[in-house]
Amino acid sequence: MFSVYKKDLQSFFYTPFAYVVTALFLFMFTYMFNSGLGTLDQATFSFTFPDIFYNVIIFFIFLIPILTMRTFADERKFGTEVLLMTSPVNVVQIILGKYLANITVFIFMLASAMFFPIFTAIKGEVVVSQLTCAYLGFFLWGAMYIAIGQLISCFTENSIIAAIFGEIVMFVFLFIDNFAMTDFIAQYPAIQAALYAFAAQPRFAYFSQGFIRLSDIVFFLSAIIVCLVWNYIAIEKRRWNRG
Amino acid sequence: MITIENLTKYYGKNRAVNNISFTINDNEILGFLGPNGAGKSTTMNMIAGYLPMTAGKVTICGSDISKEPVKAKRNIGYLPEIPPVYPDMRVREYLSFCAGLKRIPMTKKSSEITRVMQLLKITDVKDKLIKNLSKGYKQRVGFAQALLGDPKFLILDEPTVGLDPKQVTEVRNIITDLKKDHSVIFSSHILSEVSAVCDRVVIINKGDIKAIDTIENLEKQTGGSLTLHVKIKGSRTTAANIIEMVKGVEEIVKIEAEGNDFYEFIVHIAGDGDAVRSDIMSELLKNSIHITEIYTEKPDLESVFVQLINSKTSKSGIEELYEEIKAETADNAEKEEE
Repeated sequence: MFSVYKKDLQSFFYTPFAYVVTALFLFMFTYMFNSGLGTLDQATFSFTFPDIFYNVIIFFIFLIPILTMRTFADERKFGTEVLLMTSPVNVVQIILGKYLANITVFIFMLASAMFFPIFTAIKGEVVVSQLTCAYLGFFLWGAMYIAIGQLISCFTENSIIAAIFGEIVMFVFLFIDNFAMTDFIAQYPAIQAALYAFAAQPRFAYFSQGFIRLSDIVFFLSAIIVCLVWNYIAIEKRRWNRG
Repeated sequence: MITIENLTKYYGKNRAVNNISFTINDNEILGFLGPNGAGKSTTMNMIAGYLPMTAGKVTICGSDISKEPVKAKRNIGYLPEIPPVYPDMRVREYLSFCAGLKRIPMTKKSSEITRVMQLLKITDVKDKLIKNLSKGYKQRVGFAQALLGDPKFLILDEPTVGLDPKQVTEVRNIITDLKKDHSVIFSSHILSEVSAVCDRVVIINKGDIKAIDTIENLEKQTGGSLTLHVKIKGSRTTAANIIEMVKGVEEIVKIEAEGNDFYEFIVHIAGDGDAVRSDIMSELLKNSIHITEIYTEKPDLESVFVQLINSKTSKSGIEELYEEIKAETADNAEKEEE
């Protein structure tokens, strides 16, 4: 598992890939941070980091698929999947190795974004408890999206297609609660409840308010596990179906 | 020892490999021959544990590949048809990754990588990106990967494709050297290569095994009849009658017209080739038919191969052959008129 993890991490960090993705993330963060500061005097809400995270996530769903698109798609494209499958490692180890590598890049991105709270702490005041909760919530949300992106990446050998499909799926997941709240869906309370159960955004809202609820953590963790197990099944299924 | 029992693979309704069984003994080089699409790669993928089989069993050193995959896979090095290399990695980096995958202990890793790089003569490109390497080098890097960790069995799918003649000889020598303490299965469609390197050959076509035997035995299979080429100047009817009368001639397979009054006879003969040849020559000369060329063709692996692959060989009587030539000359005449 460690060798797969190390190899994937190398492919992120020995190439400009991880840095470009992080730069893009920071660019969005900066934009939100600055616009938050700029409109401070007219803002109805107080300026908080959870707010920034909240706004960044809309751009973030375009970034995560770019991070995960190559995970399995490229292995298939270059025929290196054969190497992994014929080595004395099992599929679970491969999936976990790759997932952890993606998560590591994500942590690198989050760590780089620490610049803003630190900067603010020097010049002003930061509510550390709220910030920590927002970070945790954002991390779990991102980790779930990475699991989804990785799953989609194993369905195709074209990484661009994996990215586009990932974006669509993540977009749907992001706005599923808005959709559930529409008048049309509100006519059917059962459907509304079902849709709402899949919504990640309200759960993040709790984190951003400084709540760490077990049910939210379980939601994100179970979503991650479901995606990774599905990932395993998808790979095994393809091995059975074709050569 | 690798034992393959009743291996079958279906792709949907399409049968790629049909109930094949054979064994690979220790210290043996086994050639795997077959035309394109015969099921060679599928079989190798199944032996290496990449593809699950529809039915059957592959046992490597006593461990079943589908039940104890990790244990079984430790004993094999696999080079697939397309070398499984990452274009964005450097050669050394790639080999180091593969060594990690194969769980080579940290202390041995560096010496092991140096060993395979020297063996395949890729030390001079160790710091190059794989995507900048030529096809031959990529192939050798892939081969190096298979040799890492010194696995007991090597499965090589067309290892010499894309190499220049010098490299082909080098790779062949490496394979022959490996025989000392490894077993090698390697597929190829280059027959000379197989006959130069392999101890035994498995010939496969459309998923079925056509033959498993040593090369000598396979050659003997058709060794009963030699093929004789006789080029003459004169009447083909007379010549055909004479040749047919000679003792030892089995049949005239083909008569080719080679311009005005020149014909080439392809004849299958039995027994002592030299005696029959001299008889034919003297008989023809007696009847004042000139011989321009005469030679025997030894049956080689190629003809065995072709025979086994095309189980239906067209054998027609001498009358039909005449008809064929007539039709051909008529065609030619027509074309000339046009």
